[in-house]
Amino acid sequence: MKISRRGFLAFSSTLLGSFLLGNQAEAIEGKYATIIDLTKCDGCKGEIMPRCVKACREYNRDRFPEPKKPIPPYWPRKSYEDWSDKRDKIDTLTPYNWIFVQKINIDGQEVNIPRRCMHCDNPPCVRECPFGALTKGPEGNSVINDKLCFGGAKCRDVCPWHIPQRQAGVGIYLDILPKYAGGGVMYKCDLCKDRIKKGEEPACVIACRERLGDKAVFMFGRRKEVFDMAYSRAKAEGLYIYGNTQNGGTSTSYLSKIPFETIEKVINGKKDRFQMPVKIENKIESTFNPIGKIVLVSGFLSMIGASIGAVLSKKSSKKEREDEK
Amino acid sequence: MKNKIKRHSLIEIIEHWIIAFSGIVLLFTGLGCLPLYKRYYITEIPGFGWTADFYNVTIVHYVASVVFVSAVIFHIFYHGLRRDFALLPKRGDISKSIKVIGAMIGLGKEPPSEKYLPEQRIAYVGIGFIIILLTVTGIIKVLKNLEWIVLSPLAESINTLIHTLSGFIFIFAFIIHVGTVLLFRSNWPLLKSMLTGYIDEEYVKHRHSLWYEEIKKN
Repeated sequence: MKISRRGFLAFSSTLLGSFLLGNQAEAIEGKYATIIDLTKCDGCKGEIMPRCVKACREYNRDRFPEPKKPIPPYWPRKSYEDWSDKRDKIDTLTPYNWIFVQKINIDGQEVNIPRRCMHCDNPPCVRECPFGALTKGPEGNSVINDKLCFGGAKCRDVCPWHIPQRQAGVGIYLDILPKYAGGGVMYKCDLCKDRIKKGEEPACVIACRERLGDKAVFMFGRRKEVFDMAYSRAKAEGLYIYGNTQNGGTSTSYLSKIPFETIEKVINGKKDRFQMPVKIENKIESTFNPIGKIVLVSGFLSMIGASIGAVLSKKSSKKEREDEK
Repeated sequence: MKNKIKRHSLIEIIEHWIIAFSGIVLLFTGLGCLPLYKRYYITEIPGFGWTADFYNVTIVHYVASVVFVSAVIFHIFYHGLRRDFALLPKRGDISKSIKVIGAMIGLGKEPPSEKYLPEQRIAYVGIGFIIILLTVTGIIKVLKNLEWIVLSPLAESINTLIHTLSGFIFIFAFIIHVGTVLLFRSNWPLLKSMLTGYIDEEYVKHRHSLWYEEIKKN
């Protein structure tokens, strides 16, 4: 097959177009956002399992890991992360439980906090995954590709909330260097990626509304509308917001009557695996990006310097040759 | 004193060593961007504690890339515009390279060479290609982190994978490059010329006879 020059250009620009989504606000931040209203969550009192947790587990059941046993340890270490015998655990995040309700007590008052991935605007997990296994969808969700994930758990390390959870004994690493590199596959909430792609709500959001109706904890929708609602409610009812500025902004905003500084302190006192720090800087934006700009500027200056240098040295060597003659 | 012939200009020597040293830093921190150092106890070696934090490792990677990217771009534009193409491969270089490598390990006689050995010309293009891949995908990563461009999920995966995989190839290329210089005595004068810019006339006469003839002609 022969491709003409024009045909090739047209083909490559279409290809480039489908790769670059442009840099409009929506492409950066994503289409959707969620409010998690802590003033309404009672942790599904009286039920065996909170509805959001139950719905998540049911909807994502087929995506849960089925590790091959025996699982090789992470050589030269003797450990490995295996949750497959603790599938019933619902009071924390595991590869089999992508949302949980964190219970704390503040001055005798019970506070229930549904915890899952915050879906950051500039997610460190996505930006730093060395295998490109994490990506940010146009819907605003950070998604783990379980076929590419090596299970190094870097995403969990760089996540300010340490959300992704690892299961050993599954994934691509078993086909490459199972003993020496890789550790399984990471799992976390991706806002029910196939549902939101179709414009539907995540399973947890629907399940909560089935129980609480108009007073549902979750509100999922177009990002701008959701945030407008969060801000206006915060103002009108004197509520505090969490998630709108943390780590440079996320697409989740918690609403609470109690200041998040107090919540942070109480969770911190419990030494829970999942903390809720109020001050979180996005280090990609604050530290990497300024150096990134220097890379671009110095590269450009170097190009100019090299071009001038080349022209000057050519001239001088030409002159030398002429002088010799 | 033996006669010396100028082989590298000062600019070439500086370029080589800047790319070499920043490249080594990039290799070490690039490997450290993979979740390996903690697992293999590297982070527990005194002086390497900082590698336990991916943010530290990435900052050093970024800083080294300022130097590396500038040097690579300088190299391409400076020598491209000056038309210094002696290091680009010529027809028949592959078969000649096999003979050169054979001669290094004592098999057969080395064919006469120009200023650069045919095997060096091929290695240059090979390592140059990997460096360009790393530089381009690295710059795309910088732009994506700045959110000046927004990649589709597929493009982001592909770009990241190319950067990581070509990084591994770069490690192998680096080991082969340093190994062939250090392991074969016949290559030692080349290391000296990369440090001083000059090489013994005897060596040129013997190993780069085609270049020697050219010098003598002028």
